[in-house]
Amino acid sequence: MAAPLELSCWGGGWGLPSVHSESLVVMAYAKFSGAPLKVNVIDNTWRGSRGDVPILTTEDNIVSQPAKILNFLRKQKYNADYELSARQGADTLAYIALLEEKLLPAVLHTFWVENDNYFTVTKPWFASRIPFPLSLILPGRMSKGALNRILLTRGEPPLYHLQEVEAQIYRDAKECLNLLSHRLGTSQFFFGDMPSTLDAYVFGFLAPLYKVRFPKVQLQEHLKQLSNLCRFCDDILNSYFRHSLGGKLAPLQLSFICVEYLHILLGLYKQNSLLIEEVCALSLNAGL
Amino acid sequence: MSLVAEAFVSQIAAAEPWPENATLYQQLKGEQILLSDNAASLAVQAFLQMCNLPIKVVCRANAEYMSPSGKVPFIHVGNQVVSELGPIVQFVKAKGHSLSDGLDEVQKAEMKAYMELVNNMLLTAELYLQWCDEATVGEITHARYGSPYPWPLNHILAYQKQWEVRRKMKAIGWGKKTLDQVLEDVDQCCQALSQRLGTQPYFFNKQPTELDALVFGHLYTILTTQLTSDELSEKVKNYSNLLAFCRRIEQHYFEDRGKVLKKHSRWYF
Repeated sequence: MAAPLELSCWGGGWGLPSVHSESLVVMAYAKFSGAPLKVNVIDNTWRGSRGDVPILTTEDNIVSQPAKILNFLRKQKYNADYELSARQGADTLAYIALLEEKLLPAVLHTFWVENDNYFTVTKPWFASRIPFPLSLILPGRMSKGALNRILLTRGEPPLYHLQEVEAQIYRDAKECLNLLSHRLGTSQFFFGDMPSTLDAYVFGFLAPLYKVRFPKVQLQEHLKQLSNLCRFCDDILNSYFRHSLGGKLAPLQLSFICVEYLHILLGLYKQNSLLIEEVCALSLNAGL
Repeated sequence: MSLVAEAFVSQIAAAEPWPENATLYQQLKGEQILLSDNAASLAVQAFLQMCNLPIKVVCRANAEYMSPSGKVPFIHVGNQVVSELGPIVQFVKAKGHSLSDGLDEVQKAEMKAYMELVNNMLLTAELYLQWCDEATVGEITHARYGSPYPWPLNHILAYQKQWEVRRKMKAIGWGKKTLDQVLEDVDQCCQALSQRLGTQPYFFNKQPTELDALVFGHLYTILTTQLTSDELSEKVKNYSNLLAFCRRIEQHYFEDRGKVLKKHSRWYF
């Protein structure tokens, strides 16, 4: 516990501490369980590896993959699931499986396979954080990996076609979002008042989908209609990640939040929320 | 199937009642069928029994190629062919029979989540064991998968299928797992199922749902199939409420209705 825990992961943008789902899951879990994590953001120097990101390094161990990292943190006594009953622990596993089977293909498609999104947003963002000449190769490889995963798990052998599965995976993802929304209901987190592993996973998958600005946004539009899931993401961002989003802008951000609350009180939230949101996003982008 | 075709099929399905001569196709029971396909087929049979719908099981060597999606089992009802448990449940619902109508939204979410857990962990573990574990592949899988075909087709088809499954395992991140890690995952999955089941007769208390059918299909097949080692079935046997659950469904929905599931059932109690 005294040894420093270092996490290397992809960086943030659009108001998020990280744009990469798996990195975000680990960062959220570390915040929930109180693990002191030193985050090393991957940038375009040659320092550090980009292979199996996120990677947790301690004095004697290197752990990759979110599930293994979370297990390792639990063994080090950083356990966010302490208060859960056995049945809630079982539910956690089941819902994580639901996320991976139903939501992940559509998220991968939105980020890495949909041509408009990939070429205008994802590829430039990742390429700017990878040193030349790897920046020419690695994003393409990640995109092919995502396409492979979608086709092999959903397509039909032997001639895997993307068109057949596209409609199906988006339908499944929308159904999954609806199910999550029903399950969350009006409570703050999935299992009562304290966040747990499931909250970390849901946040990790949903937050990039919610915040990143894409040209082709059908899944994002559906998510924005489920207000309790949006509130869930915003709550976690505000409570656990606020100070990492540009300290010098905090007063500006706080003043905007005050203005927003005033508008809620005056009942003008609906009309002005878009404007306030846009200005916040602009200011954060400028600050970052 | 595209969205338009699916809507069309649902409409036609709703129009006709369930016929007497509905058939379920799977591979040859004795020599060809593998663990994962047997589990899927048993799950569908259990589901249809729970809905009280008559079905005749027909074994064909080329069942996998006859199926519209390439996966077994598939059912032939009237003039429609539907494969895999998910679409079959939808199809049966369009005909007016459903096991999960009494559940509220949160329970339906839970049911779907647990079904994905079984597919994600148990089914993938079964596929791993069959196609990526060298001992099992050599002794059992290759011989069984190619058995209806003459040389050299039996070897070619078996290698082709193995290559396909290994590609899939690599894509989802199971390519680097060892057998022990896979068995750990199976244990975790069984523990979750056991904790969810608790002391209830079925997962959603009094009435079985498609989740019960799916879990029964997989667990029963794991418990009663002879593999190179007993490690997989040992993991399931650690949980006595799951064993009781399988026994209860076998008795209630198969033996009591005169259907024999396996000629030589290996039960360890």
